Amino acid sequence: MQLTGHVLIADDEPHVRRYISLILRALGPVVVHQAASGEAALTLFHSLSPPPQLVILDINMPGIDGIETLRRLRAEGVECPIVMLTSLATRQVVEGAIAAGATGYLRKDTPRAEISALLMDVWKAVAPADAPPPVESSEPSLVPPL
Amino acid sequence: MVEGGRDSDEGAFDELLTTAGYNVYSVTSGESALEEYSVRQPDLVLLDVDLPGIDGIETCRRLRTRHGEACAPIIFMKNGWELADDDASFPAGPVDFLAEPFVSRQALLHIRTHLETRRLAIHQQKLVAELRQASAGKDRLLSMCAHDLRNPLSAVSGLADFLTDPSIGSLNPEQTELVDSIREACQSMLKLVNQLLDFSSVETGELRLELAPASLRDFAERAVFLAAVIAARKGTRIVLQQASPDPVLMMDVMRIREVVDNLISNAVKYSPPGSCIHVMIESLPASPESVPQVRFSVRDQGPGVPAAERHRLFREFSRLSTCPTGGEKSTGLGLAICRKIIDLHGGHISSENQPEGGCVFSFTLPISPCN
Repeated sequence: MQLTGHVLIADDEPHVRRYISLILRALGPVVVHQAASGEAALTLFHSLSPPPQLVILDINMPGIDGIETLRRLRAEGVECPIVMLTSLATRQVVEGAIAAGATGYLRKDTPRAEISALLMDVWKAVAPADAPPPVESSEPSLVPPL
Repeated sequence: MVEGGRDSDEGAFDELLTTAGYNVYSVTSGESALEEYSVRQPDLVLLDVDLPGIDGIETCRRLRTRHGEACAPIIFMKNGWELADDDASFPAGPVDFLAEPFVSRQALLHIRTHLETRRLAIHQQKLVAELRQASAGKDRLLSMCAHDLRNPLSAVSGLADFLTDPSIGSLNPEQTELVDSIREACQSMLKLVNQLLDFSSVETGELRLELAPASLRDFAERAVFLAAVIAARKGTRIVLQQASPDPVLMMDVMRIREVVDNLISNAVKYSPPGSCIHVMIESLPASPESVPQVRFSVRDQGPGVPAAERHRLFREFSRLSTCPTGGEKSTGLGLAICRKIIDLHGGHISSENQPEGGCVFSFTLPISPCN
């Protein structure tokens, strides 16, 4: 099974965005949309049609942090899986994320195979039986196609 | 602060204390003592037991109820002290008794000792508060370190990993070696960050064991009892099977209880309605490979753990995708902490899918020769 469709990733660290994007692209023909802040993620999410099927949010971002971004998306009725990225998985952080409606969390130093496995698991749980091929996005992306 | 009903003695006593360098505030009833206490915040209270209105014992009780831990030490005074009064006043919580008439110097020494004890206690509280604050500051610093180091290190390590990915294109052998060096260096730095965090217990909370002799049976019964209530709502039964004897082990009772509760509540979370959970405690005899052990296991009839997820079950990296059957929240940190607790006890925690379905989570604890 392959990861398909549109994915939104928000992290203030461009290298982390690039890394996670590479992992996503290795999992299938996915279109990755990147945002550098919670505000940008919300704007980007609303501008995409159809909306992304998977959202990945860094918890620790300046401005609106990942948890608040997550909370706002859930409050709008967004039901797609939202996976949180964190560099420090304290009980408080993780419980906060799950309580706010996160589908899962990933510590950033997780080995790549494990990140891939978790993202695929999340995807499998929601993927439509026969997913339509992704529409090429006109959004500028920081990641060159592989 | 001195409270008394009789004028002649009180006047002399006040003077004695004033001469000794204390600031003395005198009142003549329990009611005014309560009021004056709040205004003056004295370091010590001398209470005459026999007072009109609210007597000294009741005044003492109210002061201690109202001001709690912070209440100043209270010394009871009574003319011609008798044992019967002693019995009645003791539960009110005074720190000392002074029988009148006083031997002046003896009374002063008592007072001085209690004031000094009070001063030291306040000083100690202040120090503890300062240390707590410093420790919290250290934890914040470590969290920042972890965040600031893990973030770029994870990216460097991950991106270097991709350089050797065939999809990017191939590297010559020397370039591959260089990339491998970058990855290794990153991994060892990440390991250092993790050790630092483990040591400070930032991610898992404090993990220092306080060992005491105890048996698993006590927790198991309690944990099963508590979980059975929640399980019953889903129509799930819990059965406890224990083999005798019930060996006493050296363990950190609070921590092992946390593990037992976690395994049982996990089983309840992932059990389908109408199923049965078996909790078992058994003794394993010594073998060539190990000392005698106690094994605690929880067998459920849930979906089991998918093979692909087994290896990351007890790690704190990520949360499993298997959903609880009753919509419960799960952080996935629980099992990582359980593993640390059992490791620290010299035991082993594991999970195993059953061929007939369901899953067994178990841990072993060594029965050391001193037991």
